[in-house]
Formats: sequence, C-alpha cells, structure tokens
Amino acid sequence: MAVADLIKKTCKSLGENNKPTYVVMAIAAVKGICRPAFTMMDKTENPETKKYTALREGLTEVIAIPAYWGCGELAGKLAKKAFNSDKALANRAEKNLMFIGVCTAALFVIPALCSVAIKPIMHKIGLKAPEGHKNEEPKNLQMPAESNQTAMLKTPASFNKIIYPKMSTFTSRPQIGLRVGGL
Amino acid sequence: MIGAVKSFITSSQLANIAQNTTQSVAAETTLKSIGRPGFILIDKDIDSDTKQYAAAKEFLYQATCLAVYMALIVPVFKKGGFQVAKKYIFKNTEGFEHFKDVKEYMYYRKLADNPSVNNRMKTLEKERLTDKTKIRDKYNTTLQQELEKKDPDKFAYVKGAVELSNIIGSVLGLAILAPQVSHAFIHPALKLLGLEKKKDKTEQTDKIDTKA
Repeated sequence: MAVADLIKKTCKSLGENNKPTYVVMAIAAVKGICRPAFTMMDKTENPETKKYTALREGLTEVIAIPAYWGCGELAGKLAKKAFNSDKALANRAEKNLMFIGVCTAALFVIPALCSVAIKPIMHKIGLKAPEGHKNEEPKNLQMPAESNQTAMLKTPASFNKIIYPKMSTFTSRPQIGLRVGGL
Repeated sequence: MIGAVKSFITSSQLANIAQNTTQSVAAETTLKSIGRPGFILIDKDIDSDTKQYAAAKEFLYQATCLAVYMALIVPVFKKGGFQVAKKYIFKNTEGFEHFKDVKEYMYYRKLADNPSVNNRMKTLEKERLTDKTKIRDKYNTTLQQELEKKDPDKFAYVKGAVELSNIIGSVLGLAILAPQVSHAFIHPALKLLGLEKKKDKTEQTDKIDTKA
C-alpha cells in the first residue's frame, strides 16, 4: 500500500513539473552502479585493468550527477531572474533554460570536469592507468613527466608475456615423496 | 537578435520538449552524437587516424543508444506504463477513466495546453481525416466541459504516470541495454568502415602455445 502511495505521489509531482534534470540524473546514477559492476564481472580482463576502468567509470558518473543538477538549477534560476515581470513567461523560460543547461552539461561541462578531475583523483587513490590504457592515448602526445632514463628501463610488453620453462620440467626423478637437498 | 533569443527561450514548443522525458532524452542524445564527435575532430593535439577512429566510435555509440531507445524503449514503456498505471495503480481513477490509451491523453493534453479557448473549440469542431468524425466526438462530456474552461484540468496523475514509466524505460535502455547492444555492434561497424584494423601478427604470435 505504501509503495502504491509513493508511486501516486511521484506521479503527481512528475505530472505537475517534470524537470529535465530528473531523467539524466537517474540515468547517471544507474550507470554509475551498473557500468563498474559489468566491468568487474568481465572475466577476460586482468584485475588491475578492471579495477582502474571500473573506478574511472564510477567517478565519471559521480561527477556527472552534480554537474547535471548544478547546470540545470543554475540555468533555471537565471531564467526566473531574467523574466521576473511575467510569471507565465518565467515559468516557461525556467523549463527551457533548465533543458538547455542539461544539454550544456552533457556536451561541455561533464567532459571538461572529467578531464580535469579524474586523473588527480586516480593518482591520490594510487591507481595508475594499466599498459593497455596507456596505449589508447594519442600517439603524438608528449609525456614530459617521464624521463628518457625511465623509458629505457621499461621492458617491452611482449617480453613480459614470454613463459620460461620451470627447472622442475627437466628433472627426471619423481616429484612426489620425501626429498632431501638439491632439486 | 535579442528578440530571437528571447522567443527561443520562452518558446512553448521547447517547453513541451523539456517537460517530455522521451523527447528531451532523444534531443540530448542527438546533440551528443553530433557534438562529441565534432569536438574530437576539432582537437588539434590528436593525429588524424586516432581522431577519425575516436569520432566514429563515439558517433556509433550515441547513434546506437538513440536507435535502441527510440525503437524499443519509447513504444514499450510509454504505452505499457499507461496501461499498468490505469489498471493496477490508479484502477481507473484520477483521470485515467477518461482515456483509452496514451495517444488519446497526449492529444487532449496538447489541446488543454492551448491558452485560447476559442482555438480549442475550433479544433474540437474539426473533422478527423481517418473516419470523418469530429474531434469532439472522441471526448466524453467531462473532457469537453474541461476544454471549455479557461484553465482545464490537465490530469497531472496521468501525465506523471507516463513520465515515470518513461524515466524507468530511459534508465533501463540507456544505462543497461544500449551499452550492451552498442558493444556488440560498434566493432564490426568500425571494421566495415575500415577504421579498425585486424590484430597485428605480433599480437597473434604472443598467443601461440609455448608449451608445445
């Protein structure tokens, strides 16, 4: 019964004023939960990459929710101030500018905020982009923080993948029972 | 210039889009599908191959989201949500009893939004193209009386139920379903466009079983 009442109340409020921020915030909230969950469930990817990607996806949506809300509300308040002489006009302008605010957030504000905020946050948490992600970065991008010396010390990715045979492979004696000394 | 901006900001058509979940989400996704690839292509710090690849990938992702949303979510949740609310939640009360389906309600709402009573009456007297009956005949006496008032009842519960259903559909469609569909569709599409090369031979040799 309580659930039905809650639905009725929500319906009434949405019917009177369905702000454009509601749906985008709801989508961002569910994306913020589901996308990292799907990434963590992927069995083909290595755990470090999964952790990094999931956290990055989660952070993007965490940034998106207040950005949508802030841009929408700010634009709405601006409309109210600009058209305060006519109430009907102000009401319409509020809805329209809210929608324009949400579109601006999706197109400009969120990508800008993410590019500024995500990297420092990931560094603070102590997560760095795995090798696969580094390869996705633009080819001609200069990396001033990385000195030539450290770059030379790095081993190529394919080198790490070579599987060396273990010494136990070459022993002819049985590998069970009590053994004393040596191999 | 200022007059044009003012009339755009106070436009009733834009207000209708802003208040309608499906239309606002569709408009936003369309903007994203044009804007985001556009910004990638403008970026001067990335080489042209990477730019083309990233822009095409972004466009295909947004286009898939839009297609899935429009084809599956809008019809299912818009119509389904109205029927579920009418039969099970509101049980033919709070205005649901006056409307057979969501299309009928939306048409009534559009008429009720018209501020001029004269214009509403003129529309009611018009004949429908499909069966030559008057639009007035579609509505019962309660609805006709409402439309004659200066401020007719817009049945907020009905509108709210449709919007709530649309929000649920949008969330399910754009946050869960569309990414899965686009994941399956984008890579073959990029390969078809020649933007995604086949894996290098070096990568393939890495996978050779060294134990053999």
